[in-house]
Amino acid sequence: MESVWGLGGLVLLRDSVEWEGRSLLKALVKKSALCGEQVHILGCEVSEDEFREGFDSSINSRLVYHDLFRDPFNWSQAGEALPGGPLGALRALCRRTEPGPVTIALDSLSWLLLHLPCTTLCQALCTLSQQHSPLGGSPPVEPVRVLGLLHMELHGPGPMGALSSLAQTEVTLSGTAGQALAHILCQRPRQHPTHQTQCFSILPDFSLDLQEGPPLESQPHLDPHIPPVEPTTHLTFNLHLSKKEREAKDSLTLPFQFSSEKQQALLRPGPSQATSNIFYEPDVYDDLDQEDPDDDLDV
Amino acid sequence: MAAAATCGTGAGNQGCTAAAAAGKNNVTSFQRKGPRASVPDSGCARLVSIAGTRPSVRNGQLLVSTGLPALDQLLGGGLAVGTVLLIEEDKYNIYSSLLFKYFLAEGVINGHTLLVASAKEDPADILQELPAPLLDDNCKKDFDEDVCNHKTPESNIKMKIAWRYQLLPKMEPGPVSSSRFGHYYDLSKRMPQELIEASKWHGFFFPEKLSPTLNIEPCSLTHGYIKLLQFIQNVIYEEGFDGSNPQKKQKNILRIGIQNLGSPLWGDDICCTENCDNSHSLTKFLYVLRGLLRTSLSACIITMPTHLIQNKAIIARVTNLSDTVVGLESFIGSERETNPLYKDYHGLIHIRQIPRLNNLIYDVSDVKDLAFKLKRKLFTIERVNVYRVGVGQRERERESQADSTVSTEPTVGLNLMTLRSGPESKPKVLGARQLLETREEHLSSRLLILTQAERLCMGRRFFTAFHIFNELPCKGGCICLQTCQTQ
Repeated sequence: MESVWGLGGLVLLRDSVEWEGRSLLKALVKKSALCGEQVHILGCEVSEDEFREGFDSSINSRLVYHDLFRDPFNWSQAGEALPGGPLGALRALCRRTEPGPVTIALDSLSWLLLHLPCTTLCQALCTLSQQHSPLGGSPPVEPVRVLGLLHMELHGPGPMGALSSLAQTEVTLSGTAGQALAHILCQRPRQHPTHQTQCFSILPDFSLDLQEGPPLESQPHLDPHIPPVEPTTHLTFNLHLSKKEREAKDSLTLPFQFSSEKQQALLRPGPSQATSNIFYEPDVYDDLDQEDPDDDLDV
Repeated sequence: MAAAATCGTGAGNQGCTAAAAAGKNNVTSFQRKGPRASVPDSGCARLVSIAGTRPSVRNGQLLVSTGLPALDQLLGGGLAVGTVLLIEEDKYNIYSSLLFKYFLAEGVINGHTLLVASAKEDPADILQELPAPLLDDNCKKDFDEDVCNHKTPESNIKMKIAWRYQLLPKMEPGPVSSSRFGHYYDLSKRMPQELIEASKWHGFFFPEKLSPTLNIEPCSLTHGYIKLLQFIQNVIYEEGFDGSNPQKKQKNILRIGIQNLGSPLWGDDICCTENCDNSHSLTKFLYVLRGLLRTSLSACIITMPTHLIQNKAIIARVTNLSDTVVGLESFIGSERETNPLYKDYHGLIHIRQIPRLNNLIYDVSDVKDLAFKLKRKLFTIERVNVYRVGVGQRERERESQADSTVSTEPTVGLNLMTLRSGPESKPKVLGARQLLETREEHLSSRLLILTQAERLCMGRRFFTAFHIFNELPCKGGCICLQTCQTQ
């Protein structure tokens, strides 16, 4: 879970009907509030009172809540609703300029996906999570962490794939037999993605309790019926030499290694000592006639 | 060496190295004007050569390097000027961004003008992360240490070469100077700042151009694409890449790099839904881009997340509209990661399309199963699985059941084709001619070869020659022992 914290950027919390993710979202919000960061919450699915329930007053005072639940389309015209609707609220979050590390929790991304076109939402998320140099030129110091709650069953593969390609970390919630599991896929830019599984539970005061997870027993990708392919089984030559064979091979003088004795042998004009012998046994088909066949021609 | 003095913009060291080379080679100061007197880059004597390009040996088409000499070889010598290289991204966009950076780094080294367009990263940041070029003196040392780190202790014995090729010089990696076509880069180091600053580049960062209060009227092309096309057109016109400003000094190549085209960050929703309103937006963009490129001296690389595109018909249309298409498939997260056939590699590379430019025939290499590997400093492309020698029909059936994509064409004999983007090069395919030539030299060794059996051996020349020349003792039951006598 520390890797979730270390990286900035977009963190997707993908939950499902069986394993809900809002409590994990609230636990992460509480953790960042306790660290002293600024926390902004864009609430769309549940009311503000329901979201703040369970937090004690110190944490509640640190949360800056932007409420889109009560009046998303600004019908009451009382001036309390956020101008510009959900898109305006997102863009307002992009434009805030207070220094310091910031955590922005989007509750939930599914609601935003259903109300905004996917491309606009992706562009806004990218601007949100990459907010290093608002004035240009200054190096990024504080990470911006965007936590987005996404209900996996509501969306097709298209939007899910698009959002996954934007996210730096994806936390997929599942579980077995009452124990919640989080599959965390961390992707640092230009590095290999790392995958880990973590058992956790959320305590009633929304603090996160990490436990040592049971190791996964199943290895689904090794099919027992098909044995692993060994590429060197049917070769006609020997790739593994024994020590004696290797010595014999090493002591062999190759025809192109021009050692000094070979040079002497070639230079010495000894007729009896021929370095090359051709042993020729004539065939049925070989013509042994030494005469030049062109002699018959009258040229 | 007058033709060599046509330096591109900004790289002042090109002329110096070319002049130094000229000074070394020539004995007199009289220089004969003719095709032989000029640098090997230029096609004919009169043509002023552009730095970093060369004509193709097959049809004379002007080529630029993609930054990766192994990929250049697979594409038939390089990327033709005026065409698009489309790279289908791998799932986590790790390796395709490497190819993108190689392309841009090659442009910086050759002094070409760069145009970098991205919707996700600032182009200035992309340029900061280009790999450093490998210099002449310490590059061989780096490659050797890189190769040695990966060798198993068994194979540490240097192979003794019994052929005539032992005396041939090894292929040199080459200096950094742009008189060479295709350079090598070190991925563990960044390109020095002065080279980047000396290069000329234009950046297009889409979120900056997108003003939120703009009222976008619906149009056939997505807003992002329109802006990008206008930007490219402006750069081509103002810098004179299409010949519109003939009084400009020297011709140069514009290298265009577009990252993540088709992703939702450009405003295109082909990755989000299957039935999108603007499904022709991307194809129209590619069509207009091709028109811009064909009329100017430019080459373009585009990376596209095709694994996210929901409508497969769009992928087919995009492939047809691009010239060269290369697909990368990484093994991360897939079941091939544990397959022992692929344990040395990081992914497969598919050459999906090679263009027919002014030609009737393709320039396709006959190697179909290529894989890549990312070492610490190098990105290498190799042919999968050298050990397919002598694999019979049974094994091919078994492996096709096990769902491997290694090619099933009979790879008999000495197909030790290794296309590395490193300096060492062994001779590639050993044909029958070389075997017959070395037969005489072998008769002077201790080998005794009978005539009829010799004919038999030459009939089976691949197997027996392999045994003889590699001095590997045969396993029992090999046909070589029946016909020849070795040692």
